[in-house]
Amino acid sequence: MATVEIDNLHKSYGALQVVHGVSMSFQDGEFIILVGPSGCGKSTLLRMIAGLEEITAGTVSIDGTVVNNLSPKERNIAMVFQNYALYPQMTVAQNMGFSLELSKIPKAQITAMVKETAEILGLTPLLDRKPSQLSGGQRQRVAMGRAIVRDPEVFLFDEPLSNLDANLRVKMRAEIKALHQRLGSTIVYVTHDQVEAMTMADRIVVLRAGRVEQIGTPLELYDNPQNMFVAGFLGSPAMNFLAGRLAVDGSPSLVLESGETVALARRPDVGAERDVVLGVRPQDISLDPTDGTAAVVKVIEPTGADTHVLAELAGQDVTCVLSERLDLKVGDEIRLSFKTPAAHFFDLKTEARLSAGN
Amino acid sequence: MTTTSPIVVAPRKRRDPVLIGLWISLVLVAIIWLAPVAFITFTAMKSESEVFSSAAFALPSKIEWNNFALAWAKGDFNNTFWNSTVITLVKVPLGLVISAMAAYALAQIRFGWNKMLLVFLLFGAMIPFQVMLAPLFTLVNSLSLIDTYPGIILPYLAFGVPYQVFILHGFFKAIPKELTEAALIDGASHFVIFRRIFLPVCLPVLAALLILDFVATWNEFAMALVLLQDKSMWTLPLGLMSFQSQFSNNYSQLNAAIVITVLPATLVYLIFQRYFVSGLTSGAVKG
Ligand SMILES: Nc1ncnc2c1ncn2[C@@H]1O[C@H](COP(=O)(O)OP(=O)(O)OP(=O)(O)O)[C@@H](O)[C@H]1O
Ligand SMILES: [Mg+2]
Repeated sequence: MATVEIDNLHKSYGALQVVHGVSMSFQDGEFIILVGPSGCGKSTLLRMIAGLEEITAGTVSIDGTVVNNLSPKERNIAMVFQNYALYPQMTVAQNMGFSLELSKIPKAQITAMVKETAEILGLTPLLDRKPSQLSGGQRQRVAMGRAIVRDPEVFLFDEPLSNLDANLRVKMRAEIKALHQRLGSTIVYVTHDQVEAMTMADRIVVLRAGRVEQIGTPLELYDNPQNMFVAGFLGSPAMNFLAGRLAVDGSPSLVLESGETVALARRPDVGAERDVVLGVRPQDISLDPTDGTAAVVKVIEPTGADTHVLAELAGQDVTCVLSERLDLKVGDEIRLSFKTPAAHFFDLKTEARLSAGN
Repeated sequence: MTTTSPIVVAPRKRRDPVLIGLWISLVLVAIIWLAPVAFITFTAMKSESEVFSSAAFALPSKIEWNNFALAWAKGDFNNTFWNSTVITLVKVPLGLVISAMAAYALAQIRFGWNKMLLVFLLFGAMIPFQVMLAPLFTLVNSLSLIDTYPGIILPYLAFGVPYQVFILHGFFKAIPKELTEAALIDGASHFVIFRRIFLPVCLPVLAALLILDFVATWNEFAMALVLLQDKSMWTLPLGLMSFQSQFSNNYSQLNAAIVITVLPATLVYLIFQRYFVSGLTSGAVKG
């Protein structure tokens, strides 16, 4: 139950700088998700909040107190690790009670607290088992139980679900979300799974190479990505990008390098003729036999609910999600329409967004 | 050629030839290793006349328990057994504790020159101590520690700790660092982490090291010979040596003395082996 304030945080390993001046602040009770590609510094950032990694420059404050020089335990945080890091020689109950035992809480009280937490997580029948006698999902739950028992100010999760199979992951996702609602505590959660980020977060922080790309609610980031990186990172399948030159007059359209023309719903307000990148999500592409741009079907993936089609348009791959059940074959020519109000435009060089999407 | 139906020839009856080969070699090795043990034990229990009249591996017709009592008295075992016990019981646990703590610090606490210190320690494990005997004598002598317990225990520690640190360091390094970090967040000090998490995880290794070190220390001869000059300070192997030269004609008593010497090491093995066997089977380090 606390705010977290990160101010101009830097981290270097020797000469290698991996976090370049990151600032953000999390509200009390917020569910924050840090996403980004592998190696972008998510874990490093989390570990600096936890006090496991030295801070090169900048400050981390929890509930208004600068905690740079406090040990992990003094920060009153709890962390769940990707590999769970359960103490192998202790039973589930001992694992969960370890921190309480170290803070000299009476035995009877520890037993009661562990029992109560085990009840919440459905761990009661497993309390006497060793970690090696548990399944992956059960271990994950114990790791969460160990964190919850302590009633910490802030929960830190480092890819807690990445070792679970797909079904269990979906289940645990819902459980963690429910748990957050129940406990109302601040959670900072690292993942590189954008579905996890979209479904669980109050706000998402997108990181790239040690810098913040954008912070916002899932829908803000989805609807108004500040640059091509954020646009391409969130959403599944990923957004399609087509580079070209906006036509000056006539109906709004984009002329690709190959000379093909892509009709647009509107002309973005970007001044005269200039090179841009058009970004359209696969779900926003439709079929238009008259006005569409020609493309050749390469791969068809029916998912049941809809059909994912990978097509080649002027030498580029374009993915579209079509809700109709179509009688398509590989090699067929289709005509794709990009005439959607949800089209995004980015600068070709800076990759930054050019105008509001809608 | 075969007329039997394939159903009759149950496939599980066929044994893996490699496995059979391994079993045969295991039996051979066991026989080779057990032969002297059997010879010594049987001879120790035979009367002097029976030693020469019976075959070497024949069982004793009547067990001569008296051999042990006589050997004990003649070999001054009261004294040497006590010395060996004191030295081993101090050195082995102390050495293991020091090694384990040093290995933990080197593997888990970062302070800049861990690598250099480890290399430095490895030098200690690489130098054969025989080369060091003369300078060691001079050193211990200059400290006036010749013929004292510390005078032998300290060099034993110095030569024993490096290789134990080396082995334990390997194990501690393999323990995922998240385990330490989780414990730090839970509020554990390094000492608590060491005692509550690392030691239990490494119990099998510690048991193995304890057995090896016990046997090595109990049987150590060369350093004791140099550093323990006074007969009253002698350890069992030194006593055994003098026994051999003095009573070389009495085979049964000589072998009784050997049995007495070997017995404690065997007991220690039997007591501690279950820890490392159960540890090896109790599951992985990974939570
Ligand atoms: N101890 C270290 N010494 C040197 N460089 C390190 C160290 N730890 C991490 N790095 C580097 O810091 C960068 C960020 O690492 P970090 O573990 O934070 O990435 P991540 O975003 O968590 O990636 P992943 O999604 O793969 O877990 C990486 O380039 C990594 O190589
Ligand atoms: Mg990581």
